[in-house]
Amino acid sequence: MPKKILVVDDDPDILDALTMILESQDYIVVTAQNGVEGLANLKAEMPDLMILDLLMPKMDGFRVLKELQDPRWSKYKSIPILVLTSVREEASRRRYELETGLELGVDDYIEKPMPPELLLERVRKLIKN
Amino acid sequence: MERIESSYSPEEAALLMRLKVFVTMRWIAIFGMVVGTLVASEVLHIGFPTLPVYIICAVIAMYNVVFYFQLRAIGREKPGTIIHKARTYGNAHILLDLLALSVLLHYTGGIENPLIFFYVLHIILASIALHFRVVYVVATVALVMVGLLVGLEYAEVVPHVNLAGFADPTLYQSAPYILAVLLALAVILYGTTYMASAISGELRKRQRQVVQLGEQLLEEKEEELEQTSREMARLAEEKERFLQFLNIAAHDLKAPLTAIQGFLWVMIGGYSGDLNDKQRHMLERSSKRIAELLNLISDLLDIPRIESGQIIPEMKEVSLKQAVRNCLPEQRRVAREKGLRLSVELPEETLSWIRGSSPRIQQVITNLVGNALHYTEEGTINVRVIELDNDIQVEIEDTGIGIPAEDMPHVFEDFFRASNVEAKGTGLGLAIVKRIVEAHNGRIWCESPCPDSNQGSRFTFTLPKASKEARRQE
Repeated sequence: MPKKILVVDDDPDILDALTMILESQDYIVVTAQNGVEGLANLKAEMPDLMILDLLMPKMDGFRVLKELQDPRWSKYKSIPILVLTSVREEASRRRYELETGLELGVDDYIEKPMPPELLLERVRKLIKN
Repeated sequence: MERIESSYSPEEAALLMRLKVFVTMRWIAIFGMVVGTLVASEVLHIGFPTLPVYIICAVIAMYNVVFYFQLRAIGREKPGTIIHKARTYGNAHILLDLLALSVLLHYTGGIENPLIFFYVLHIILASIALHFRVVYVVATVALVMVGLLVGLEYAEVVPHVNLAGFADPTLYQSAPYILAVLLALAVILYGTTYMASAISGELRKRQRQVVQLGEQLLEEKEEELEQTSREMARLAEEKERFLQFLNIAAHDLKAPLTAIQGFLWVMIGGYSGDLNDKQRHMLERSSKRIAELLNLISDLLDIPRIESGQIIPEMKEVSLKQAVRNCLPEQRRVAREKGLRLSVELPEETLSWIRGSSPRIQQVITNLVGNALHYTEEGTINVRVIELDNDIQVEIEDTGIGIPAEDMPHVFEDFFRASNVEAKGTGLGLAIVKRIVEAHNGRIWCESPCPDSNQGSRFTFTLPKASKEARRQE
C-alpha cells in the first residue's frame, strides 16, 4: 500500500517541486500552506509522515510542533515529523526552547535546499521506522 | 569625647566639634579661675572674698555638665536637623557664661580687674560657633552687663569689692578711667566680633561650597551614568532589531532561490520527464550558480550574526573529539572520491571539554578540511587534535599546492582568494572561520609550506578549555 506524506510549506513552488519528487516514488502527497491547514489535514488524512516548514504565515511550524505536544493530539504522536526549512537547525532549536521551554522533538531536520536524492533517502528512513 | 558621625554634613560636623571645644574650654576656664584665685589670694595676698568665686565656678561647672550631655544627645540625632538646636544651646550657654562672668567680675574688683577683657574670649568662641548677627548681640550684651555693673557700683547701688593690695580702692569712682576701660572694651569686643565672625563666616561659606560642589559633581556623574545606560539599552535594542532584520532578509533572499533550486533539481533528476544532455548540462550549471548564490547569501549574513555575538547563547559543553568525528563521514567520502588519504589523530584519553557552539565548531573543521581536500591533488590530509595546558589545539595539514608567501598575510581577509587557484567559493570561508574561532576566544593561524614536510599548508586553531566554574554552571 502506498504511503501518504503530508507536506506543509507556505511556498507553492516548493510544494510543487516536493510533490513531483515524492510522487515519482509512488508516495501519496497531501499539501497544506500553513500550520492551521496542516493540522486539519493531519487529522483528516492520517499521513505516514509530515514534512513541515517552520516559517509560515497564520500558524508557523514552531506553533504546530507546540500544539502537537497537547494530549489532544496523542493519537498522532506516532507520525514522524521531518522539518524542512531554511532556518539553521541550531537557531531553530534555541528559539523553540526559548519560546516553549521544551526541546525541539522532531525526527529529522533538513536545511533547504536539499538535493532530491538525499531528501528521498531521509524520507525512506523515516517511513520505514 | 564621642566620635562625630560621618553622615553629618561638614557644616554640622564642624558646629558639633566647636561646641565640644566650648565645653572643654569651659573646663579649662574653671580650672584657671580656681588656680588664679588661689594664686591671687594666697601668693599675691590680694584681698577679696574667694568663696563667691568658688561658688560661681561650681555653678559654671554644673551647667557645663548639662551642656556636655545636651551635646551628646544632639550627636545621636538625625543628620540634617541639628544645626538649629545646637545653635540655641550654644546661645543659651554663652549668655549664661556672660552672666557668670559679670557676677564673677563683681566679686573680683569690677572695673579694677584687668581680667575684664576676658569677655573677648567669649566673643571669639561665639563667633566661631554662632551666626554673625548673634555674635554682635552677644558682644553688646557683654558690654551692657559690664557697663551696668560698673555703673551700679559707681552709683553705689551695688557695693564695690576692692582687690585689696592690687588696685586703688577709689579707682571705681574715677569716671574717666571707667569710661576709658569701657571704651577700650567696646572697641576690642566689636573689633574681635568683626574679625572672628568674618573669618568663621568665610570658613562656613567655603564648607557649603565644598558640599555643593560635591553634590553637583555627584549629580553630573549620575546623569552621565544614566545617559550611558540609556545609550547601552538603545544599542542593545538596535542590535536586536538588526538581527531580526537579518533573519528576515536571509529568509526572503533565500526563499525564491530555494524554490528555483527545487525546480532545477526536479528537472535534473528527471522527475518531470526526460531531458537531452544539453538541457541537463545547462540546468546543472544553473543549479551550481544558484548554489553559489545561496552560499554567498548565507556567508554574508553569517558574518554580522557571528560578530554581534549570536553564537554565544548557542554555546554549550562541547567535546572537540566528537565534533571532529561528526565531520568525518562526509569528508572521508570526498577524500575517497579524490583518491586522497584522510588520517585523523585523536588522543586516546578523553579530552577536556570546551565551551562552544557545536555546529559552528563543526563548520570550522568542515571548512578547513574541505579546503585541504580541495587544494590537494595527491597525498594525505592529516587532522590532529592535541590537548594543551589551557587549550585544545586542532591542526589540519595537507600536501597540497600551499599558499604563496605574498598571500599569507591575507588568507583570513573577506573575499580574499589566493592568487594560485581558480575562484572556488565565496572568498568568505576562512574569514568566517576566523570569526567563529575568535568568538570562542580561540586563535587561528596558518603556515605554508608546513614546517615538518616543507610542502602544502597547515591550519591550526586553538579553543580554550571550559573552566571548572563554567562546568559547574552547566
